[in-house]
Amino acid sequence: MNDPRPPKLAEKLLLRFIKEDLAEEVLGDLDEKYYSVLEKHPKKANRNYWYQVLNYIRPFALKKTKSKYSKLTIMFNNNFKVAWRSMKRQKMYSAIKIGGFSIGIMVCLLILLYINDDLSYDQQYQEKHRVYRLVNHMNDPTDTERWTSFSPAIKKVLESDYPEIETVGRLIPFDWFNGGNNQMRPEGQDIITYEEGFMYADPELLDILEVQMVYGSTENALSNPKSILISEDKASKYFPGENPIGKTIILNEDTAAHYTIGGVMKNFPKNSHLQTDFLLTLVGEEFWPGEQSSWCCSNYNTYLRLYDGSNPTQLESKLLSIRDNHLVPHFRQRGNLWADELEKFYSIELQGVTDIHLRSTDIHSEFSKGDITMVWLFGIIAIIVLALASINFINLSTAKSANRAKEVGLRKVIGSGKSTLVFQFLTESILYSLVSFILAIILAVILLPYFNIIAEKSLSIPFLEWWFIPLIIASAVIIGVISGVYPAFYLTAFKPLSVLRGDTSRGSKSAGLRSVLVVFQFTASILLIIGAVVVNEQMNYITRKKVGFDKDQILIIHGTNTLGQKAESFKNEIKQLSSVEEVSYSNSLPVEGTMRNNNQFWIEGTSTTKEGVGAQIWGVDEDYVKTMGFKVVMGKDFDPTLTTGNPILINQTMAKELGVEDPIGVLVTNKFEPPYRIVGVIEDFHYETMRDEILSLCLRLQGGNSLAAVRFNPQNVDETLSKATEIWEQFAPNQAIRYSFMDEKFNAMYKDVQRTSRIFNIFSILAVFVACTGLFGLSGFMAEQRRKEISIRKVLGASVHSIFRLLSSNFIRLVLISFVIAAPIGYHYLEKWLEDFEYRIPLSWGFIAMAGGIGLLVALITVSFESLKAGFQNPVQGLRSE
Amino acid sequence: MGKYHLGEFEEIVLLTVAILQEDAYGIAIIDEIEKRLKRKVSIGSLQTVLRRLEGKDMLSSQLGEATKVRGGKRKRFFKLTSTGKKVLEDTKEQRLGLWDAIPSFVINDP
Repeated sequence: MNDPRPPKLAEKLLLRFIKEDLAEEVLGDLDEKYYSVLEKHPKKANRNYWYQVLNYIRPFALKKTKSKYSKLTIMFNNNFKVAWRSMKRQKMYSAIKIGGFSIGIMVCLLILLYINDDLSYDQQYQEKHRVYRLVNHMNDPTDTERWTSFSPAIKKVLESDYPEIETVGRLIPFDWFNGGNNQMRPEGQDIITYEEGFMYADPELLDILEVQMVYGSTENALSNPKSILISEDKASKYFPGENPIGKTIILNEDTAAHYTIGGVMKNFPKNSHLQTDFLLTLVGEEFWPGEQSSWCCSNYNTYLRLYDGSNPTQLESKLLSIRDNHLVPHFRQRGNLWADELEKFYSIELQGVTDIHLRSTDIHSEFSKGDITMVWLFGIIAIIVLALASINFINLSTAKSANRAKEVGLRKVIGSGKSTLVFQFLTESILYSLVSFILAIILAVILLPYFNIIAEKSLSIPFLEWWFIPLIIASAVIIGVISGVYPAFYLTAFKPLSVLRGDTSRGSKSAGLRSVLVVFQFTASILLIIGAVVVNEQMNYITRKKVGFDKDQILIIHGTNTLGQKAESFKNEIKQLSSVEEVSYSNSLPVEGTMRNNNQFWIEGTSTTKEGVGAQIWGVDEDYVKTMGFKVVMGKDFDPTLTTGNPILINQTMAKELGVEDPIGVLVTNKFEPPYRIVGVIEDFHYETMRDEILSLCLRLQGGNSLAAVRFNPQNVDETLSKATEIWEQFAPNQAIRYSFMDEKFNAMYKDVQRTSRIFNIFSILAVFVACTGLFGLSGFMAEQRRKEISIRKVLGASVHSIFRLLSSNFIRLVLISFVIAAPIGYHYLEKWLEDFEYRIPLSWGFIAMAGGIGLLVALITVSFESLKAGFQNPVQGLRSE
Repeated sequence: MGKYHLGEFEEIVLLTVAILQEDAYGIAIIDEIEKRLKRKVSIGSLQTVLRRLEGKDMLSSQLGEATKVRGGKRKRFFKLTSTGKKVLEDTKEQRLGLWDAIPSFVINDP
């Protein structure tokens, strides 16, 4: 048997830190103690030993690391001491250097976190390199389009004809039969709740997107018809603490929509492009007879996993056979001219799953997405801000060089070499950089919660990641060296003789370079200001532009489809309220989040000879036009007494696209329903964001709609709301009222643009601020250098005004030069940005002049502070010293 | 002038070293203190005080023989120096002086 021994590790640790001359007896003491404890409490012995060892970490017992004095460490210590002293001696300059630096670094850090989060999307799949999404590409020379929905029949063909494809899974991520938003309740419970984001999916999709399961398996969860997969969150909401597999969920009180829970999945990670709590199976679904095998009607997003080693580019060219063998024949058979277009311009692309979030800006799809160009833009801003801060450092260091010249001269006389001096100044700048980094991280920790609110992210600083601390230290050193290298060489180049004789041109030798750097700083700042001004103007334009309807006084009540037969009487009761002017049921409203669709329309009888007009068709009731405040420009509004004969209203764009002089009375068809008779034309209104142009749209009468739009008198919003709630509760006691205001919904459509512009504004302001702190420091320095000159001028009768001009004119000139450089660059890029909007402000030079004005004003204020101080001072103060 | 004032723990350690006479080394001192005063002392804190007292020239030390129970490591034995003795005596005087100055009824009263 092994005799128990004191723990080796503890012994080693002790020997590591304890003084050599203490080691022997201390170890002896500890051993003796160990064995004596061992006799009494064998279990405690080890623990006690550790305790005793740790108790030895006391100053008296520690090895003196400094005992090995070397010249290098002495010098290093001295360098630090000198750096520390010069930092303390010039508090203002140090504060500007460090303050500017830390703000710059903080901005950089926040932006990097933001970018990092965007780049982390969809990286969680183990097989991500062979998971793809199919994208339609219509490369019409006049109008390139990309979209993601495919015909249902594509799945079978992909599975059978292409050996490199391992699995195919389809997804319907939008309002479609029971997809989208539903009023739901578990069977056996009374309360009906509104839930969003139901999607249809093939069981294979779970495997392709590597959905993680809590209960059930990816193979079985969706394999039975009418099964549903719900998320962990929703499982614990509706079935707390139990395994809900086998339970039934009822949607919209519809007997045909009873779904059996087949499994519970983990919530999708925040950085997944796909976000849903409910997946309905596509197994056994056929939305109309023959739907699943048809090539019409693209509604399915299609995901693939390829076999390892297959070439996606090759597959793309093979996929053209789908066009030639299936799509074109399908449309040609029906005499649809779309077939020719397809043949000429259409192809199918594969998009890697990791590209979906950031590289889909030109793809029509249902997912919220980031924008790789924004990632680049923010990255550039981060670098600019950091550069501005580094320039401050360089400028202030060289400007203050006169004060250090004597020190350098003396050191050289005593025998210091150039390299040791360079080393000294580099140490100094690294010290500044380290202090700034520490401050920056503290600032970032404080500001991160606010930044998260603005950016609508949940970022955190990854202190615990192994790479974080080394990365920060490495960047601190690198940035310290980069910004310190020029000043270091500049300062050490002084000739000792001339310095000590006292005729250094006091820090003005590098004035040329300093001016260049200041110009760079202000060019960048003015560019950012121009950007901020124009982006804000465009945002204001969009949110305030007349949209063609009255969005400000409309209350939307959601989920009215569950009222069934009672809908009419509910509408009448709401209408009775004194503050309510109009009520209308519909499925679609000109704000995001309501039903959209796409249909092809032909004037009756031309479907084989002409191309169809793509248009939305919205289900509404006869009060819709009145309620929304649309203008009827031709024909008449729906006549409540004449609802037969399929009347529809079309918008001006559709009238134009149909190409008939007088559309009233014309019959149009989408080939599904009997032909519609156009009874009126309404003025165009915006129903998508202003990035998009207004497209064709028609309105038809339809019952059972899910939204009630209530136009009310805005003077008593609360009263209207509470009365409407009362009425709702009488009609649907088990279902909470869900309402929204149209103007809020409308503004929400621009949330992402507004968010981006807000972040842009904040970072621009910070960048300008950093540039100004540098200018402030420089102007203060100049005033100090010319103190005697100014005093003498004042004695000889110069006015404050003339001294102010003397000191600030140089800086103002630099800012003007910056403006001249920045203006055309800014104009160019902003013009490009605005081209993206269908409805935009003209980019006038006025904005650019305004931005330049702001830049100049800020610079002037910054400079005037020190200049005026110099101008007002008593000349005696400046001359007294000699 | 410059009379050194012993801390409470220093005083205990000095006294214990005096009690143990020739046998005063780390663990022995701790055991003695634990036995007599029923208080826990870690080796580290004891060593701190021993070094300090040695530095003040109240203790002297020398390395002794190696024994098996200590894994072949030698002990360091501590001894009171004359300064140490003097300080202890002074301290005792002071305490007694203070005790004497207390009127007897203060302590005897319940």
